[in-house]
Amino acid sequence: MSRADELGVALDRNLQASTRAERITDALLAPPTATISPTAREAVRDRLLRRVPGLVEELPVGAQVTIGLPLLTRLARGEGVPLEPGDPFTWKPAFVRRSLGLAAIEACLVQPYRWGPSQAVGPVADRAVAEWQRTGWRTYHWEPWFAGLGGGARAAVLAEAGSWAVPLWVALEWHRFRVPPRLGGPDDQWVCAAPRTVRLRGRSEVRATLVGEAAGGQAPPVTGTALVSVAGGVLDRRGWEAELAFLALVASLRSPSRPVPNRVVGLWLQSGDHRVVEITDELLDKSASRVIAALEAVVSAGGSASGR
Amino acid sequence: MAMTDTGSRTGHPTGTPFPTVPAGGPVTAGGRLPAVPAVVPGVPGWKPLAGRALLDRLRVTGRPRPLADPDRVDRLRRSIEDGIGPAVTTPDRPLVVTKGHLNRALSCDAHREPTGFGDRPFSLPLAVGALVDVLFRQLVTTGSVGDAMADGLDALSVDDRQAGLLRWIGQLPYGDRRALAGEVRRQAAGLVERWPALDPAWLPRTEESMRVALAGGSVELAARVDLAVGRPGLDVASVGIIEVKSGSRRPEHRLDLGFYALVETLRRPAPPFVVATYYTRGGELDVEPVSDELLADAARRTVAGVRAMQGAAVRGDGGGVPGACAGCTAQAGFEG
Repeated sequence: MSRADELGVALDRNLQASTRAERITDALLAPPTATISPTAREAVRDRLLRRVPGLVEELPVGAQVTIGLPLLTRLARGEGVPLEPGDPFTWKPAFVRRSLGLAAIEACLVQPYRWGPSQAVGPVADRAVAEWQRTGWRTYHWEPWFAGLGGGARAAVLAEAGSWAVPLWVALEWHRFRVPPRLGGPDDQWVCAAPRTVRLRGRSEVRATLVGEAAGGQAPPVTGTALVSVAGGVLDRRGWEAELAFLALVASLRSPSRPVPNRVVGLWLQSGDHRVVEITDELLDKSASRVIAALEAVVSAGGSASGR
Repeated sequence: MAMTDTGSRTGHPTGTPFPTVPAGGPVTAGGRLPAVPAVVPGVPGWKPLAGRALLDRLRVTGRPRPLADPDRVDRLRRSIEDGIGPAVTTPDRPLVVTKGHLNRALSCDAHREPTGFGDRPFSLPLAVGALVDVLFRQLVTTGSVGDAMADGLDALSVDDRQAGLLRWIGQLPYGDRRALAGEVRRQAAGLVERWPALDPAWLPRTEESMRVALAGGSVELAARVDLAVGRPGLDVASVGIIEVKSGSRRPEHRLDLGFYALVETLRRPAPPFVVATYYTRGGELDVEPVSDELLADAARRTVAGVRAMQGAAVRGDGGGVPGACAGCTAQAGFEG
């Protein structure tokens, strides 16, 4: 081994234990410490169903309001309700990076892209396009747009997705998931029965199944679920718990028969911060209060806004 | 830091000064394209590093790699927060500090860039920079570049922030457009010839965005680096940060590297082990091993910059701190 190799070896040590990833994965996969009582879950749902219809009555007929984590964060920072986008939607690399990046990570977990998502984004995108061309089915929606791009633009998309995915890839120790995690997929959504459409939308990047210890040769019992949410910017130290809990709230509303996620891990990859919140009855209720406050802000802004 | 620094970190003979290559290219309607440095002036026989040699230059700094040290992070954070004093902004409207903000805030009137990134009038050098940036990204991601001008324009076309620049390029007179394409193709060819293929194991990521909140969120340090390699979050520094420049060396480039190292350190337990600037025009590589001294210098400069920005905001002027202007320091280095 040359001197260059010796001194540069840390750069190559992809499999070296990462203390930060180890800590985050420990926290994510730890046994649940709390469960939501069915009564509390029902109470939060009833509270929203009682409050929301009255709030949105003032909005114009046909108005739609979507409340997501970015809107809650934005309002907490005092940035106000965003205006409706004026321009029609057009694809760009930033809109593709999450779905392609997550698909690339998923490919790394099951296929031999052992060096990470940068290696996988190209083949994954090519496969998605080929599948769309073969079946007409668009798994990610961007396939026709991507297929029509020239070499430079295509490279820009792959670069954006690969560079988005790498920090998430190194933030967790993926080999420790005993049940394969779900990456991406459809957002959790709940539409409130009200005179105007009010939609809560929860988007998490990773959904992990928590399992206990196996006994007597049986499969390890499932003890709960945990979500991972990737956020942009820096961690705002005010109100992050209720914001992360919002994802558990939407999941609990969407499917009353499924258990409420036990915890949510927030990753602020740009600033290197992470936070873990255990979902409790109280926190779920606090999160519902944030939803109601956000809805009030949207209504007082004239209802001309929506948020993911 | 003066520009008379030796070339030992760049593959130049030790002790050879690094003069700024004087501008002198053809003057066109779109602005002046700098002269092409066939070789580095004053260094006979010098050739740019390429391939494995370039990679080794980045990887082997000759110094032990720093270890992750939460105390270092705390010290740096405290030194900045104590230094900037009571915040004049709030977490709702944080003062966002970038390398460009620092450079402007600390420059004297004579050396201050009149406008920041995104506000500069379009010119051929600016267009070359934008195109070379996306071509570098393409090369790192896919390992190849086709027709450099076509690929570059293609990549800019999916970035709505570059719509104005694309329109401007589209309206260039034939001669200017030809000059632009010629320079872009020349720099891209140099990149393809010299830039090493990066092992996917090094987790290359381009245009990596970094942000750090200070003083309870009332100040945010923000940076976006052209290339970061190496796995973050380890016990030992394993990340290298590389900035790509299509123009001439400028005194503030090395200070920018210090700022990147500082922001990366504040957001991780471990600092990067190296920060570097690669000049695509001539293939020069400036490598800066990251040390506690470099980080402390960067923290002091950040404090001075933030104070200047806050003072300028209060006074309503352009700022400027005596003795802190990178342009003046470089000039003094040459004259001294």
